[in-house]
This record gives sequence, structure tokens and C-alpha cells, in this order.
Amino acid sequence: MSRATILGLVKMNKPESLPLPVIDENAFKEEIDLKETFKSNVTLVGGQIKEIEPNSIDSEIQSLYPNKTKIVSITNKSTLGTVQISPNTDPHTLQDIDLAIVEGDLGVSENGAIWVTGEASILRALPFITNDLVILLDKTKICLHMLDAYKLIAKRDRTFGVFISGPSKTADIEQCLVVGAHGAMSLTVLLI
Amino acid sequence: MNHAKRATEFNKDEAKVNWHDKALWYVREKRDKSAHNVHGWEYLRELGSALKANVLSNLDTYLVQFEENAKKNGVHVHWAADAKEHNEIVLSIMNKHKAKKVVKSKSMLTEECHLNPHLEKHGIEVIDTDLGERIVQLAEEPPSHIVLPAIHKTKEDVDVLFQEHLGTIPSQGNPEYLVGEARKHLRNKFLNADVAITGVNFAVANTGGFVVCTNEGNADMGVHLAKVHIACMGIEKIIPREEHLGVFLRLLARSATGQPITTYSSHFNKPEEDKEMHIVIVDNGRTEQLSREDFRASLHCIRCGACMNTCPIYRRSGGHSYDYTIPGPIGSILSPGKDLKKHSSLPFASTLCGSCSNVCPVKINIHEQLYKWRQVIVKEEPQPVIKKTIMKTAGKVLANPKLFEVAGKSARFALKHAPRFMVYNKLNAWGNARDLPEVKGDSFEEWYKKRNKNNE
Repeated sequence: MSRATILGLVKMNKPESLPLPVIDENAFKEEIDLKETFKSNVTLVGGQIKEIEPNSIDSEIQSLYPNKTKIVSITNKSTLGTVQISPNTDPHTLQDIDLAIVEGDLGVSENGAIWVTGEASILRALPFITNDLVILLDKTKICLHMLDAYKLIAKRDRTFGVFISGPSKTADIEQCLVVGAHGAMSLTVLLI
Repeated sequence: MNHAKRATEFNKDEAKVNWHDKALWYVREKRDKSAHNVHGWEYLRELGSALKANVLSNLDTYLVQFEENAKKNGVHVHWAADAKEHNEIVLSIMNKHKAKKVVKSKSMLTEECHLNPHLEKHGIEVIDTDLGERIVQLAEEPPSHIVLPAIHKTKEDVDVLFQEHLGTIPSQGNPEYLVGEARKHLRNKFLNADVAITGVNFAVANTGGFVVCTNEGNADMGVHLAKVHIACMGIEKIIPREEHLGVFLRLLARSATGQPITTYSSHFNKPEEDKEMHIVIVDNGRTEQLSREDFRASLHCIRCGACMNTCPIYRRSGGHSYDYTIPGPIGSILSPGKDLKKHSSLPFASTLCGSCSNVCPVKINIHEQLYKWRQVIVKEEPQPVIKKTIMKTAGKVLANPKLFEVAGKSARFALKHAPRFMVYNKLNAWGNARDLPEVKGDSFEEWYKKRNKNNE
């Protein structure tokens, strides 16, 4: 009932139709080194980033996170996984996961964000509930800005996806930045 | 109590006000730095504004499109005309699932609708999970800022609050320790919640999806663990197409905190298997604001809080002095539309310096709207006798050059020679807590004439 009321009121009260603006992307063009800018932005938002060879993924993760025992790896690029999950796993059981390793689809140079889909983490809760998070990213998959990013993810099956930029953080106590709020305490991006 | 009186309360603790003022200005500076890093920033703001204007002028079409697409994705869509209906809908979903525990991420809409007390009245535990919101919830206060809800609290305040409610040990306000304890406390709440409630930053008409932005990850922790997700949104949260997120996500966090983007920008389209997703679309006065030509642009707002951080009045009077869910300049143009009488002092809580309009990512003409509300208010609301008399007199004096000259002379004479109590009293708000400038001998006109003569 309220649906009709609200839509009726909108129709009655809205202004005359204004055009949908056409976005002139030339205004945002920049000749920058996408990878280097991306790297510096990942660091700016509190993450760490390393460019490595594909065969050193496991050794790199082991040296960065030496004492992790409960590891979920959702990628065939790493063999470090110790806990298997499936779409039927109760996400609550992930509460004591030490480390999750997932693959990102796309990095955004302007803000260090990485697109991670629900499918890439099997359970949507994983990249948030894990204590620490490692995202693997193909170094050729970095775009300039968010407008480009949405073009590149346009043809996807829309279920759930998240741009992750750094580890979880808060400044709610006297504006002091504290890394590690409710989500992952640390984020490492491995560029491959 | 009006804004000025509540601001006086806030100003009793001078050190705290100074800190508040500086902390918010620092956020404003971070915003500047971040914005200047973006090639084409001003054009981006223009796009944001034009997109929102297009949305408002086709809002009914976009709402229907959004609903249709969301339903196709298996999302339940509800419509609420006002706060009461919104709260009833949320409660009915809770009851359907026999839910007793809710975790909520930041949503100014549910604050506006006073959802928490409604659910609590029906025996449901509601936990605000954004750290700042949890702090003010424990203190039984409303948020004082839309992005930094507990900006009015010192770390020592938080320390005491956590000792009382979370059983922490005294830490003299150690932020790392306090955040760590809050993480443990809230993790337990996330793991045991039946339902997660979130707000909506942007709802996309052409996909039926919506985006929720947080830094803490609290929205996602709630949603991905609970069986049911309820997302509450005002009708103005719609944007036409997904690619337009590319404009708004570039603007939002930079304007809010100076970050290039929030840590998490979560895109919800379909519920996870065996779970339910609900969207409640709320009017609650928005269609009325849409009807007001002078004020409808206030519905462009994307809730970044930049106008608060920059406002010289907000920074020195605190969010609670506005006594409205959305404080600061934007709140002062939204609130009179809801209750003109109650909020009639808010459009006057401004110097009309225009800084709010200058930083607004969607270019709302905030200070012009403040001025327009003043004109409405002086016509419709009785004004204090002193103010009325002074305004009338000033009007006459300023309209008459001879009178103006005499008045200027007497004022300069009085400021120089009159005893202090005659200059600094209740009638002269400008003399309150500050000394008026030293009076030089001449008026500008006299000085200018002399100067010309000397140069001849």
C-alpha cells in the first residue's frame, strides 16, 4: 500500500526531468605507472604489498606469517591450506581461522582496492572473519580508477563482491588510527 | 532549548571544544589533500551533482526499476511511508524468524526512525557494531557526527565506559587496547546474531544491487554470519547505473575522512544460499522535501560529513547541540523540513561562510539553503523581541545615509568612552566572551575623504 503512496508522491513532487550526464572520461586520464601507484596506495591504506615470482608464493607467505596453523587457501596457486571449506560449511566455524589466501580479480591503482568476489572466497564471510588475509593478484590486472574498474567487472554473475582496500581499521577513539577492527588484522597483497 | 543554548553547554569545557575543533579541521585537511590528488576532482563533483539531480527528477522510475531487479535476484522488497511503518516491517521480519538478537551496522536512517528502542521494547537485543556507534550506545547517547559518531568522547571517557560495560581494566585510554577489547566483545555478538541490519550507501537501479561501505568490516561480519540481512534505505539512495558507483565511490571516502576509498565497499546482489535478504525503502518525509524547489537538492546528500568537519559552528558547538539525527550544515537544511518549529534555530547556526557548499561532493548549495530557511522561519515562527527590534532598527538605519553616519559616530563614541557594563551586556552578543576591537577615530568614509585630500 505504501508503495503506491510513495511512488504517487514522488511523481507529484519531482522536478521536470533532467538529463542523465554523459561521463567524459578524458577528464580523468592520467599518464601514471599503474603498478607503482597501486603499490604505494596499498601501503598508504595500511596493507603490505610484494611483487614475487609464481613459484615463491608459498615460501613468501610462510616467511610473512610463520606461526599460522589454521589456514584456508582458496587458490590452486598455494598449497598451504590446512582447513578445507565448501559452500555448505557453516561460516561460524571460520571464527578461529588464522589466515585466508584468496585470489583478487582486479586492482585499482587510485586507491589500492582489490575486487574479491563471493565465489573467490567460497564463503562470503572468509575475507572478513579470518585473522589475517593474503590476496594474490595478477600484476597485469591493475586499472587506473573506479570508473575503469566497473567496466572491467561489468560482465559478472552478480551475487556478492567487495573492493578491499587495506586491513580493517577504525579511528573512532579520539581519531587515533587503530588497524584491526572487526575484519582482518592485516592484509598482504602478493603481485604475481 | 535552542542551538545556541546547547552550544553554550558544550562550550563549558574549553579544552575539549578546542580539541574537537582541531580534530575535525584535521579531517577537513585530509579531505583537501586527498581530493587534490584526484585528476578532474571538480568535474567529478559536477558529475555527482548532475547524477543526483537526474535521479530526483526520475525517482519513481528508478525506484520501480530497482525493485524489479532486486526481486529478480531473490531479494524481498518492502516500502515504508514513515518511521513507524519502517520499524513495524523490521520487527515483523524479526518475528517471522523468531529472532532475538540483532547486530546493526551504521545506518543514519534507522537512527532517524528510532528503530533500536522499538525493537528493544519487543524484547530484542540490538547491538550497534560500528565502534563509534557502540560507544555512544553504551553511553546511551545519540551519535554526534554521522561518520565519527563518538567524536565528542575522549579516550578516557571510552576507557571508563568500557570498564563499566565490557569489564576492561583501566588503561588510561589506550586506543589499541580498547579497540582490541571491543573486537572481542563484538565478535561474540556477531557469532550469535540471528539477523543483521545494515544501511545502504548506494542502491543501483539497473542491477537491483546495493553497496555498503565500512572501514571496520562490521557490516560484512554481521551479514555473512546471520541468516537474515535487512538493509534499510531512504528513497534518495538510488543511483541509475552500476558504473555510476565509479563516480560516487571516488567522492565518498575522500570527502569523509580523506581516505582514497573505504576499506570495504561491499556489493550485495543476491542472498547466499539458504539465507534471506530484505530491503526496506523508506520515505519518512523525503517526498515532501522533494516538493520544495528551494530545498530538494538537500536530498543529493551522500552522508560523507564533510560539511560538518569544515563548519566553524559545528566544530565549536558539537553534534549534540543540533538535537537532530543529522547534525551540522546538512542537518540544518534537512531538519526544518521535518519540524519547522522544533528545529527553527538550526538554520541560524551558521556564519553563511559557504565552506560547506565548497566541500560538498555533490555540490549541494547548503549555505544558500540555510539562508532561504531563515527567510521562511522569520515569517512563520515568532522571533525574540530583542532580535526583531534590532533588525527593524538596523534596517531603518542602513537604509538612510544620514542616520547611518550618526549611528556610526555614536557607536564609535560609545565603544571608546562608555563604561564596560553598557557595551558588554546581554544585548550585545558580539561582546560575549570576546573583546570588541579597538576603535579608531574615523569612519571609513571620513578616512577615505581625508586620504584623498592629502593626496591632492
